[in-house]
Amino acid sequence: MSSTPLLEVRDITAGFGAVTVLHGVTFEVPRGTIAGVFGLNGAGKSVTMKTLAGIVPARSGQILLDGEDITRLSPEQRVARGMGHVPQGRQVFPDLTVEENLRLGAYTLRRRDRSRYGPALDSVYDRFPVLRDRRNQKAGTMSGGQQASLAVARALVNEPQLILVDEPSAGLSPVATLELDAVLQEVAGTGVTMVLVEQNIAFGLALVDTAHLLQTGTVVHSGPVAELDESTLATHLGIGKVLQAATGQALSGRQTKGAPGAGRRAS
Amino acid sequence: MTAVSVHRRLPARGLPVPGIVVALVLAALLPPLLGSTPLLSDPHALLLCRASGIAIAAISLNILMGYAGQISLGQFAFVGVGAFTTGIVTGTHDLRLPWLAGVVAAAAAGALLALLVGLPALRLRGLYLAVVTISVAYVGWQSLFRVERIGGGSAGKVIPRPYVGGWSFSDNATYLSLALIALVVVWQVDVNLVRSRFGRAFQAVKADEKVAASFGVDVARYKLLAFALSGAVAGVGGAVFGTAFGTVTGDDFQYSTSLLLVVIVVIGGLGSRAGVVAAAFFAVLLPDVLIGIFGSGIRGLDLVINAALLVFTIARHPDGMAGAVAEAREKRARRRGGEPPLPPTRPNLPSLGRPSGMPEPRRLRAGRPVLDVAGINVRFGGLQAVDNASLRVDRGTIVGLMGPNGAGKTTLFNAITGALRPDSGRVALLGQDVSDLPAHARAALGVGRTFQLIGLVKGQSVYENLLIAQHLAAPYGLGSGLTRVGASRWYEREIRERADKTLEGLGFQRFAQTPVGRLSHGQQRIVEIGCALVTSPELVLLDEPSAGMSPAAAEDLAATLRDIRDVLGRTVLLIEHNVPLVLDVTDELYVMDAGRVIANGEPVEVVQRPEVVTAYLGTAPVREGVSA
Amino acid sequence: MGQVLVLGLISGGIYAIFALGVVLVFRGTGVLSFAQGEIGTVALYFAYFLVTKQHLPWAVGAIGAIALATLIGAAFEYGVVRRMVQADPVSTAVATVGVTLFLLAGEFFVFGASPRDLPAPTRAGVELFGVRVTPAQIAALLLALALGLGLQSVLRRTDFGLGILAAAQDPTAVRLVGVPLSRLTLTIWSAGAALSGLAALLVEPTVGFITPGYASELFIVGLAAAVIGGLTSLPGAFVGGVVLGIAEAAANHWFGQYGLPGLRYVVVLVVMLVVLLGRSFAPDLRRRLEQPPRPAGVTA
Repeated sequence: MSSTPLLEVRDITAGFGAVTVLHGVTFEVPRGTIAGVFGLNGAGKSVTMKTLAGIVPARSGQILLDGEDITRLSPEQRVARGMGHVPQGRQVFPDLTVEENLRLGAYTLRRRDRSRYGPALDSVYDRFPVLRDRRNQKAGTMSGGQQASLAVARALVNEPQLILVDEPSAGLSPVATLELDAVLQEVAGTGVTMVLVEQNIAFGLALVDTAHLLQTGTVVHSGPVAELDESTLATHLGIGKVLQAATGQALSGRQTKGAPGAGRRAS
Repeated sequence: MTAVSVHRRLPARGLPVPGIVVALVLAALLPPLLGSTPLLSDPHALLLCRASGIAIAAISLNILMGYAGQISLGQFAFVGVGAFTTGIVTGTHDLRLPWLAGVVAAAAAGALLALLVGLPALRLRGLYLAVVTISVAYVGWQSLFRVERIGGGSAGKVIPRPYVGGWSFSDNATYLSLALIALVVVWQVDVNLVRSRFGRAFQAVKADEKVAASFGVDVARYKLLAFALSGAVAGVGGAVFGTAFGTVTGDDFQYSTSLLLVVIVVIGGLGSRAGVVAAAFFAVLLPDVLIGIFGSGIRGLDLVINAALLVFTIARHPDGMAGAVAEAREKRARRRGGEPPLPPTRPNLPSLGRPSGMPEPRRLRAGRPVLDVAGINVRFGGLQAVDNASLRVDRGTIVGLMGPNGAGKTTLFNAITGALRPDSGRVALLGQDVSDLPAHARAALGVGRTFQLIGLVKGQSVYENLLIAQHLAAPYGLGSGLTRVGASRWYEREIRERADKTLEGLGFQRFAQTPVGRLSHGQQRIVEIGCALVTSPELVLLDEPSAGMSPAAAEDLAATLRDIRDVLGRTVLLIEHNVPLVLDVTDELYVMDAGRVIANGEPVEVVQRPEVVTAYLGTAPVREGVSA
Repeated sequence: MGQVLVLGLISGGIYAIFALGVVLVFRGTGVLSFAQGEIGTVALYFAYFLVTKQHLPWAVGAIGAIALATLIGAAFEYGVVRRMVQADPVSTAVATVGVTLFLLAGEFFVFGASPRDLPAPTRAGVELFGVRVTPAQIAALLLALALGLGLQSVLRRTDFGLGILAAAQDPTAVRLVGVPLSRLTLTIWSAGAALSGLAALLVEPTVGFITPGYASELFIVGLAAAVIGGLTSLPGAFVGGVVLGIAEAAANHWFGQYGLPGLRYVVVLVVMLVVLLGRSFAPDLRRRLEQPPRPAGVTA
């Protein structure tokens, strides 16, 4: 396993028009791990994702994917180099069927080597049998949880190195959130590297290995979740003492069940 | 409609009173004087007459597209109606009314037709409106203007030159005076329009209809007004233009000429009077210039140039010539002077009484809430955005509304202010049931609000925004507004005084003329709060005022909010994510999640309730036997 | 009655093809293109040039014309749309207005205003209800039908075509999936322009002569047809075209005797207003019917 981190984000500034939202974001994601980016509203989570994806141009700083500088590349070019996306709100193509969504997801794979598409599709259907059952159903008619599975499968089928997952639990019912948790654990099991941005902090903490805490446009803390304590979390998120007790609950709930991620993947 | 353009601003000045007199005198005397010299030949005078007519038509399109933001690809149909009406009124055998009557009739006919087009426009999206206006242009050209009675048959409609008390205008140079006088008058009327509440209301409607409604502008009515005014001016242009020709047929008012008008307005700069008039003269004189240079073998080269200019303009300088000029001026200014100092973030909001133009708010019986909301339900497609939400806000308090993203807070705000109609539920303001009132009517009763994405007219200056916000405080009529006589002088003075006081209180005097879009987010927020308060509303609704602010600025905001309650005696309902801010200023707190109100009461206590905490942090999923 | 139907279908086919071009571009890019009409006229002039001045066979002229139309569409996307500072749908629509004028001016510049005659490829035709129907007209109707109903399924078969359908629904997600959005938009604009060229070619043999702005007069009806059909529906565009064609023929049949000029445009305006306004009032009506009675009074 190579020692260079798969993703390096170095001092990125970005924003919209007159407003600068990110004031120098820096973090690394080692290969085969799951990194979480957490923060309250307005901290800059969504802009971070959009900048990583290439939809919002970085005004300064660098983004390196597997050692290659991708800062100036378009979103399509980044996907061709192994970046995959599960966008906020899933954004599946509603009028296309499940299989058509997947076929589009594998666009760059099919252009690289069409023969790999068949096996890739089968492997994805094996992981998500619910999608195989509905392969000819229009994506827009499926439930939120099923669409989430489809969005993840659509990213996976292209055999990416890195998957960016943007607030996957947003707008999902509690039941669907549980389904989603299972789905994301599946994905983690494939050994693919993930960056997860979440507003539902407890949900995110249960999944990731490393947490990067974002506050008003900078990363104020990076470290393994196992070493995170409630006061650090509370201070760095800026929520003050009042909600500390609650975060304490979230962390202890996790710690009693054993840290997920340990021993989950082969090195 | 169009994206924010931060370089464009409407000139707040027009010709000062002596200026217009000078212009009129020049317009009256110069052409006949020059006409007797070789400087102004007869065909050139005719060309300038045509150019004046087109310039007036361009101003009319500018009112509709540049000010009110309504698209019209058939404006020349209105011009044609004006021309033919003048012909009918002054030229038909049994009806030989004076020319001025013809012009008035032309204005009326143009206004009427434009109104007919504007009525369906109220219910149609912009692009549908564009197609309808193209269709109208074709109907005019191919159908209406070819009807014998109107168009005069194949020979065309004769429009005789005016004959006023011994003075004949059949000479082109003399008629040019009349054409130029008409142009100057229309120009001045347009200046007055822009400086009046009507021009400001158009600008607000164009920028953002929801924001306009929050300032009390009846959006539908103003859209229709824009059409009617635009049609009237187009009619006048038609009268001038048509009379210059002497005889007009349907083919003089082709669809492509409507397109050319669009080119002129876009190249000149949407919203810029001077740019548009300059572009009009340019477009009309260009063919002559080209023939002078290249000889008459060049057909259509002028159109090629104009079209190419349009494409270039829309692609690289969407604000047109005027915008490019303004941009260059600003670049020079920025290079010369440094950045002005930042204004204080702790404003001193002035305590203004109710404006004289607005009714006093209803007397509220003691103990009755300022705002009473019951059982609001809003459903978007499959999603229940607001689920049986109720809240009440007592006088002289600051009430907070919190909740995670997607909880339905802004949707509830929209239902309260009338920006959207809930599926069920009632809203009572100051004891009065307003559930059936549209947003602009509720604003009149005394509600001010701010928006998540800053509810200001971004292309306008801070000062103009403060004036737009007082739309309801200056209830004078159109006639008074266009002539600057009577009630408009009185009310304008009053709202400008209030705007000045607010500007002072905010500490923004140096930024008075700065387009709002160029201020920092925090500064825009302060201006927005100033605009929400300038009409002294009883209740102020603030949507995430601290978003994008640093912690220090948020503290200043907290102090400002407390001032609004304690010094000004108003009532505030605010949506906020900033927990320390909420705990600091609110007297009562409501929490929403997934459309429902899940908690309310004493802020410190509410924030610690388990259901609130869960709503914010989410729940860790319970897993079966995770292998360590 | 039969005559009205035949006449209506004949013109309806042409209107439908123009409408399809409009819908294709609108669906794929969100822009309403006003230039499609004049692109058709330019294509015709080019065919005229190839056939009459270069003495090439009609088929070559036709292919050349469509090729030129396609090129113009591509050039517009590559040279203008992509370079726009503010590429929002309204500004781009205004840019198409500029293109229309530019092409119109070019026609005047090169060919002048007097009509040019492009002779039809064949004199063949059938008699239906007293109306002479040429193969071009039949081809137009059949093609419109095929495209309206079948284009969508054809697109589904290829990755790129699928990308075009997806781009209409969610352009950002398309990029995130790795499909080159810029290539998609280029194809869409080119295809829309090609359809205009085709439509213009199919109509010309029956009318016989070309003047500047010729195809725009038909295009406007196609534009209205697209609008009536809902602007995003390909089958809707076909239906809209046929409806307007038949409405025009019917109006001519009943009202032609009164000598009102330009009946076609009056029909277009009326039908369009009726459909658009009807559609805009429909959700309100539905809401009013479904609304439960409001509870009286406000509970404290």
